[in-house]
Amino acid sequence: MTEVTFTLNGKIIAVKCAPGTTLLEYLRQLEMYSVKYGCDDGTCGACTVLIDGKAQNACLTMVGTLQGKTIDTLEGLNEQKLVKSIQERFLTEGAIQCGYCTPGMTLSLTALLRENEEPSEVEIRDAISGNYCRCTGYVKPVKAMLK
Amino acid sequence: MGKPLPQYMIDIKKLSGMIGIQISGTEVRIGALTSVEDIRNNQILKRHFASLTQAAEQFAGVQIRHRATIGGNICNASPAGDLLPGLYAADAELTILSKGGYRRQSIREFIIGPGKTTLKPGELLYNIHLPITGRNSKFYKLGLRQSMAISVVNLAISWESSSAGAFHFSLTSGSVAPTVVYLKHFADAVNSSPRDLDTFLPLIDKDISPITDIRATSDYRRKVLKNIVRHELKTILEAPVV
Repeated sequence: MTEVTFTLNGKIIAVKCAPGTTLLEYLRQLEMYSVKYGCDDGTCGACTVLIDGKAQNACLTMVGTLQGKTIDTLEGLNEQKLVKSIQERFLTEGAIQCGYCTPGMTLSLTALLRENEEPSEVEIRDAISGNYCRCTGYVKPVKAMLK
Repeated sequence: MGKPLPQYMIDIKKLSGMIGIQISGTEVRIGALTSVEDIRNNQILKRHFASLTQAAEQFAGVQIRHRATIGGNICNASPAGDLLPGLYAADAELTILSKGGYRRQSIREFIIGPGKTTLKPGELLYNIHLPITGRNSKFYKLGLRQSMAISVVNLAISWESSSAGAFHFSLTSGSVAPTVVYLKHFADAVNSSPRDLDTFLPLIDKDISPITDIRATSDYRRKVLKNIVRHELKTILEAPVV
């Protein structure tokens, strides 16, 4: 068993798990369902979380590597002003259809906006380039962010 | 993902001595655990090894670039690895660490086939060394979409431009053979007579052996690589000498 301590959505937690357990499996066990189980191999970005503030794939992250790190999911960030503003932009623009990619995109954009308050279209597209959407596409999310 | 997990796994990613990019004498040294995102944003590399910066810019997506390391890209030894052509073009050398000490090997000898390297049990890729030569370089990737795409064909070109009109091109290409290859026959010919590059393009076939897979056919790879080479070299040749 692996034992690690890290901060999850502001709370320090100690975790015991089998080596090889991914952060995606672990978060889903905790019923953090904003972290979506899509491809499980780093392709789709639906499981995007913030690790030390950087957008990363939970499915490619072993829990055993998280000692001392800070993990944020939408469950923890939902009430933050910046995150709310992204969600409202998406709603207003209708940038959501099935919604499966939305949490991941929201976190990728959160990480971008924290470092860059007024990103260009190129920067927005780059920030969500690792988040697959298979229904509305990328035009509306990008439009939402440019407004 | 389908493979049984070993009983023990060791996370090496916190070995801080293996992370970072610095100039050391006449070379740039990159720690094997340096992330692709750090490679992408590094000013030293941007100045001296533009092809690597450009490859990192087109590498996967943000999430993967934060997790992926240059050492991982090398040891994975994929024929399509996007950092590899630039490293071959820069004549990269690797230091490999083991209990017994260090050994040093060029990247072209280190990678011996798809997924195969000379790395033995107990060895760790430690540093990547790039000699600073003042040569220019650029990278071109052809994928089926802009991000998160495995290269159908990729290409790094390095050259020096002198006022005498000599370029000394070196071309390395991925996804067209079991490992990254030097397009040596073509480069030798074009270096002796750059204006006749069109007639030399068939020589590219001598150094490549592309396969047909889900991304492209062998014939397409042969054809498109020649088109990319022609376009990229013409762009360089027609640019005003600074």
